[in-house]
Amino acid sequence: MLLDYDRLGWLRAVLAAFTALVAAFLLLPVVFIILLSFGSSRWLAFPPTGWTLKWYQELLADPAWINAALTSAKIAAMAAILSVLVGLLASFSLVRGEFPGRQLLRGLLLTPMVLPVVVFAIAVYAFFLRIGLAGTTIGFVIAHTILALPFAIIPIATALEGFDKSIEDAAIVCGASPLQARLRITLPSIRIGIFSAAIFSFLASWDEVVVAIFMASPTLQTLPVKIWGSLRADLSPVVAAASSLLVGLTLCLMIVTALLRRRSSR
Amino acid sequence: MQGTPLRRGSMAGSGGALPALTLVGLFFVVPVVALLLRSVTDPEPGLQNYAALFGSGTYVRVFLNTFLVAAVVTAVTIVVAFPVAWMLAIMPPALGSIVFGIIILSMWTNLLTRTYAWMVLLQRTGVINRTLMGLGIIHEPLPLINNLAGVTIGMVYIMLPFMILPLIGALRAIDPMTLRAAALCGASPFQAFGRILLPLSLPGIAAGGLMVFVMSLGYFVTPALLGGTSNMMLAEMIAQTVQSLLNWGLGSAAAFVLLIVTMALYALQLRMVGARRLAGGL
Amino acid sequence: MTRPFLSIRAVRKTFGAFVAVHDVTIDVPKGEFLTFLGPSGSGKSTTLYAIAGFQDPTSGDVLLEDKSLLAVPSHKRNIGMVFQRYTLFPHLSVAENVAFPLRVRRRPDGEVKRKVADMLALVRLEKFADRYPGALSGGQQQRVALARALAYDPPILLMDEPLSALDKKLRQEIQAEIRRIHRETGVTILYVTHDQEEALHLSDRIALFKEGRIEQIGTGEDLYLRPASEFVAGFIGNSNFLPAEHLETESGAATVRLADGSIVKGVKATHALSRGQTARLMVRPEAFRLTPVSGNASLAVEIVDTAFFGDRRRVVARTGSGDEIDVRPSSDAAEPAGADAAASRRIFFDPAQAFLFPA
Repeated sequence: MLLDYDRLGWLRAVLAAFTALVAAFLLLPVVFIILLSFGSSRWLAFPPTGWTLKWYQELLADPAWINAALTSAKIAAMAAILSVLVGLLASFSLVRGEFPGRQLLRGLLLTPMVLPVVVFAIAVYAFFLRIGLAGTTIGFVIAHTILALPFAIIPIATALEGFDKSIEDAAIVCGASPLQARLRITLPSIRIGIFSAAIFSFLASWDEVVVAIFMASPTLQTLPVKIWGSLRADLSPVVAAASSLLVGLTLCLMIVTALLRRRSSR
Repeated sequence: MQGTPLRRGSMAGSGGALPALTLVGLFFVVPVVALLLRSVTDPEPGLQNYAALFGSGTYVRVFLNTFLVAAVVTAVTIVVAFPVAWMLAIMPPALGSIVFGIIILSMWTNLLTRTYAWMVLLQRTGVINRTLMGLGIIHEPLPLINNLAGVTIGMVYIMLPFMILPLIGALRAIDPMTLRAAALCGASPFQAFGRILLPLSLPGIAAGGLMVFVMSLGYFVTPALLGGTSNMMLAEMIAQTVQSLLNWGLGSAAAFVLLIVTMALYALQLRMVGARRLAGGL
Repeated sequence: MTRPFLSIRAVRKTFGAFVAVHDVTIDVPKGEFLTFLGPSGSGKSTTLYAIAGFQDPTSGDVLLEDKSLLAVPSHKRNIGMVFQRYTLFPHLSVAENVAFPLRVRRRPDGEVKRKVADMLALVRLEKFADRYPGALSGGQQQRVALARALAYDPPILLMDEPLSALDKKLRQEIQAEIRRIHRETGVTILYVTHDQEEALHLSDRIALFKEGRIEQIGTGEDLYLRPASEFVAGFIGNSNFLPAEHLETESGAATVRLADGSIVKGVKATHALSRGQTARLMVRPEAFRLTPVSGNASLAVEIVDTAFFGDRRRVVARTGSGDEIDVRPSSDAAEPAGADAAASRRIFFDPAQAFLFPA
């Protein structure tokens, strides 16, 4: 009866309490950082002695922070678009194709996800130094696209696997050309997968620290690099304000995703 | 059930992968291979970088510490994740979705943000030490940061979703009937747990645990910020060797060691669960 | 016959060393309902895919009104098809699904609207026009698929086991719908199934496939009453096979000896057999009688089990040589029960309704 929720007896109370505790543990840093960002103490006293918006003012008044955020947004958007496009094409090959080495190719395209980022970071940094792409936006976008590609391929390939190929065949028999059938029938049917791919690959670039630390130049800094620098220097509450805004962004993305999923499952 | 087969040639459908293959080949495979070559050519051809790596007590200690931290993190993560996954696997969805939401929120929140929060929480004058002292449990602040404790707390926090989510899948795949049958056969809850539930979920635990272990081995950010200089991990050492010491040969050799270990464990993981399940656990 | 409407000529399909379809040739007149029947892997679906253009035949040709279809890509063949699985477009409503083939053909709006209404009326789903496929039952989905396949007035409609995912009762209901729609539209239908009852119910003609070849083609009656081989006899309807030895054939009537030594005369000879050749005598279960009729042959059996099924009785009997046979006499007064289990008795059959096949 250990897998029957209604017949667990006293064990249910123990498990529920433990689950609540872990949920609190997972929630703690997120809530804590938001509270901290409104606290008035520069020394991060907690609970705060007073409430203030001055860290947000300081953050928004600092062009270095704004520029870093804009740079991050630009790079993440480009990396997301590129990896969704490339990932979409690759997914059709991986799911539908019948050619030798298909599994090997799948493994290769997903490897950047499992290889420790630091190895890729120094490898691509050395390579870009040699070909003159280090410290450039295009270099950033390429490196982040490599890292984001698995996060684009996995949801798209999963959606495509769940989509019955016979439906596309039916469209073709109905008179749609193979390209028309893909554009008008298959793509709309896997749109949730494509959307997830866009979000995941955007976040993969937006949150990426390690490659960014190596690639950044004094004139080209992403948000994580800026935060990393601040963390190594001091634990300024401005970082808490920046972090809270990032949590807000995450929440927005989660809500949009949940809404879209609900609408499509209707 | 078989699908409707379409006309196919021997390389049918491979064209779409070309852009991805070019991108990954040129900007992933080439740089990584070039880096590995560098470990045996920089500053001069030979294996001196590897000799230095395995001959020096400092570096060997980094290796051992890396494995130690990864092992501790994996063990703690499994123990904490299992009851949560168990509960979530059988809970009514309405209640469970709140916990799910929290797990996703924590997973999607910026890594540096989460690590920053733990830095503030764990510091000498941080909330945790003050609360414990306020409650009279301790009289001196506990050293919670820049040591193994700090890294473990921060890493377990990051790894928990990667363990909980696949475990839920593994637990849901177990037919509750088997446990009802065990109860009817006279097994006490403890016997049913030890003899039925745990063995049946062992493949899931092993797969998730291996994934957490592999990810922990190569982790850079959290150990660098929450760990101490005396227990540096491999990823941070590689970054430092290259960035501060500009010793590319040695850094490349260390990177190669990390790559080999990671890929070997990853291959083991693939054999255990297959690529599909691994991807599904994201 | 004048020139055939659809002509499948010596179509052959191989996958490596495996021959999936073995030089199949069929001519289909306009308006016919032709069923490809056979066990799975017998080549019936592969033949259908060659007509749809999903697979190119290794050799042979498919002609529609004397023009080869092979060089025409699937989407330009103008063929209708209903698939085994539900293939409605999940993101489009029922009406939009039916309109899809007309939209890709760039038909004017007014025509599309009218045609969609006609088609939904044809499959009696007018009320569901604005629903999405996810909100329909399996039977309704296949009816919409039928409407979509007919919306552009294709000359041929292919149906690939369209009812196999439905339960039995629904299957019968939609079979009746398909018959009606075939009658009303006069479209030529090629229908694939492995269910012989479905084939008998629906078709004008049946092509029975076995291992990539057509074993026999003809009306349901042909296949049932005049099976060309033991395989056909066994696949269509129920049958009992009794081991027999061929003694002689004289002016179309064969004499055989059964395993228990009894002699049966007057069996219709459809195959040339030599004297003393071992053979199999096939008797349909419903051809057996429990009461003697003059001129009938008889078998000594032991009754193993008996059950009543309303219009029929079902009796399981065992011959002296140990073969179990299925006996289904009609349950009218002329066929009194009198068949108690474990009783020994004789059962009777008309040799002219028995078939002799070489073993």
